[in-house]
Amino acid sequence: MFMTVVGALNEGFVQTLALFAVTLAGALPLGLIVSFGSMSRFTPLRWLTRTVIWVIRGTPLMLQLYIIFFIPGMVLPSGNPWPAGTAGRFMAAAVAFIINYSCYFAEIYRGGIQGVPAGQQEAGMVLGMTKSQIFFKVTLLQMVKRVVPPMSNEIITLVKDTSLAQVISIQEVIWAGKAFLKSSHGYKGLLWPLFFTGVYYLVFNGGLTLLFGWVEKKLDYFR
Amino acid sequence: MMKNRKKFLALSLALAVVLSLAACGGKKDEAPIIGGADGPTGIQVTDSDMAYIKDKGTLIVGITEFEPMDYQDASGEWIGFDADLAKAFAESLGVAAEFQLIEWDSKVMELEGKTLDVVWNGMTLTDDVKAAMECSNPYFNNAQVVIVPKDKADQYQTVESLEGLQFAAENGSAGQAEIEKLGNSCTATQDQATALLEVQSGTADAAVIDYLMAVAMTGEGTSYADLTYTVSLNDEQYGVGFRKGSDLAAALNEFFKASYADGSMQQIADTYKIGDKLVEQK
Repeated sequence: MFMTVVGALNEGFVQTLALFAVTLAGALPLGLIVSFGSMSRFTPLRWLTRTVIWVIRGTPLMLQLYIIFFIPGMVLPSGNPWPAGTAGRFMAAAVAFIINYSCYFAEIYRGGIQGVPAGQQEAGMVLGMTKSQIFFKVTLLQMVKRVVPPMSNEIITLVKDTSLAQVISIQEVIWAGKAFLKSSHGYKGLLWPLFFTGVYYLVFNGGLTLLFGWVEKKLDYFR
Repeated sequence: MMKNRKKFLALSLALAVVLSLAACGGKKDEAPIIGGADGPTGIQVTDSDMAYIKDKGTLIVGITEFEPMDYQDASGEWIGFDADLAKAFAESLGVAAEFQLIEWDSKVMELEGKTLDVVWNGMTLTDDVKAAMECSNPYFNNAQVVIVPKDKADQYQTVESLEGLQFAAENGSAGQAEIEKLGNSCTATQDQATALLEVQSGTADAAVIDYLMAVAMTGEGTSYADLTYTVSLNDEQYGVGFRKGSDLAAALNEFFKASYADGSMQQIADTYKIGDKLVEQK
């Protein structure tokens, strides 16, 4: 019985990890672009970006999942635009998670960039570096070091937030655990698999914590 | 002056977002019917859901794991009384049935968002369900039963004895409606299984769930071996739900009639040992 349950939970956790990885791959770079928008000297762009951040951070991710997955099929004349089956649901979840997390990442990046002392840029100018050289070779590198602690916080939250994708029926690990409450893989009314999913999160986040600790140490050479 | 202009810009942007969200909401109310009303593709409201299904060649059936109605056999194939009937219905339309596990609370949204075509999962026909979906005729009899710990079961064999009990039931379920009629207090849970969990852990005195579910999930060999069912609160009937205004509901009623008449519906029900609860189709 234990092996059957673990097998089912593993299948769910693969979904959890896939959503986690896709979200990170999308939101890490998109967040940087959004942070540039929110610091732009072109006022309309800056306010537009900040309004988007306000809307995305100001509404629940669960609601955003519902809106992104269900509203298109209700308003588009051609029907539901998401691909059929599980793939479409996963894609919708990934879009919602990437948009949501890039707004949080953008604010962390902005803090990191604006936290680099102005003297660093001035030093770059004195050395005759161009603006882009200063950004990529001076500011960005120091920003990376500064954002590691808040980013690790957000990334660990992301691991757990993937469970929200259940609302559009992504069968991630908690869904797989909950399925045993009723009946799944030939077993009925099992309670413990749901609680056992916690072990998966704990182990994975433990690994992430070690990884971030190592990264922080590696970046110690800036000061 | 400059500052004021910025503030104005920010406020108007915020307003624009709110208005566009409101506009989305409005549209949903105006054109929830099949196929969309006024699209550039020229699809008319008169175009039927039937045509839409046949055009794409699939009937997406929304289910939850619910033995013996919808569940997976060892090879991962969806079987059960509802699943087998759904496959037969899809075949009669010349399309393929695709099964999709859903979060039960989202079923109406799934239908209207066209991410599903039909909800076919031992669904009790309540006034709420009939208002939100285009429903078939009833095809199966069920009851809502009270779940209590086994050792207290003999105290709770009548409706009168339930007075003062703290209940748990799935949010929006027929069971919850029955508890409201009794006037007892009720904790709304995410699904029927969670309602059982409440009784098991003692956070509720009793739960109200479907008869079929109670048979499958309580007693020997389950995690709820200490729970049992006692009083039936209400006899009720199962139906199948389509998008509001869909012509598929009428087509399914015809299909029910034909397969009841030739005995194939009875045969499927007998396969899952629930043949005595079938509703006559005429």
